[in-house]
Amino acid sequence: MLVKYLLATIIAGLFAGIILTPAMYVKNVPLILHAEEYESAGGGGHSHDTPASASESAPAAVTPHEHAEEAGPELPFGRLGNTLLINLVAGAGFALITGAAALFLGRRITLQNGIYWGLAGFFIFNFAPAFSLAPELPAMPAADLAMRQTWWLITVILTAGGVYLIVLREQIWAKLLGVILIVAPHIYGAPEAEDLTSAVPPTLASEFAVSALATNLFFWVVLGTALGWAIQNYASSELEQ
Amino acid sequence: MATVRTSNTISLPLASRLTTAVVSLLLGVFIIYGVGLSHSETLHDTAHDTRHSYGFPCH
Repeated sequence: MLVKYLLATIIAGLFAGIILTPAMYVKNVPLILHAEEYESAGGGGHSHDTPASASESAPAAVTPHEHAEEAGPELPFGRLGNTLLINLVAGAGFALITGAAALFLGRRITLQNGIYWGLAGFFIFNFAPAFSLAPELPAMPAADLAMRQTWWLITVILTAGGVYLIVLREQIWAKLLGVILIVAPHIYGAPEAEDLTSAVPPTLASEFAVSALATNLFFWVVLGTALGWAIQNYASSELEQ
Repeated sequence: MATVRTSNTISLPLASRLTTAVVSLLLGVFIIYGVGLSHSETLHDTAHDTRHSYGFPCH
């Protein structure tokens, strides 16, 4: 077991998660909070910091959400604390997956090429799914959750395969197949809501989609570079034969 | 072009890196599943802003 390698990836992930949090708070979180005002106004939905609204308003059946609940059972660290915690964990998770991919492929993430690993991660996990399933705000109309999650997961896996075939394989058939893998889920199409009527103003929604993508791009660039730095400094001895 | 000293490939044979790769991948997938996709209400509510921000399907 390459313990130093694992630790280096986790450290890089935690670092990127910390850096991500203030970036998220510049624009994404205020937009989420803003959208939640429409959510409670529309009746039901899930409320996090306004426990009274969900139970007192109209029946949950009219909302696009499946779960109308009272104060959520989230961990007790407050909204910022919870988000920071989850960002740290998510950062480590994405770092571990990226580090694992590099190990499987026999490639080394360095300070120089780290940004490309980051861009690949952004493309696979954020950009490609967002192309057909834009980052959405609370209270926006959406199709069945499980269906969207399945589509998201399949798209991520196909895109990862596509990126591998295009970037790391020389053969022309591999590159063509890579393009097909990346395009296929979008031709098939993401699950869409039947009724697109939304309480959230479209300007807010488009602003959020762009700011979410920009934040994620920033996160992945930091993560890729941090991975290269951490692996080079702490784990390079393990990777020599 | 002069050869760069820091190589982009790992000389370690696949057999020696496979265990770490599998462990790392499983751990990462487990974490991302928990953060982004799990239907557990506690996880959903805790991860709420992160899920939206990452573009995970939410709600």
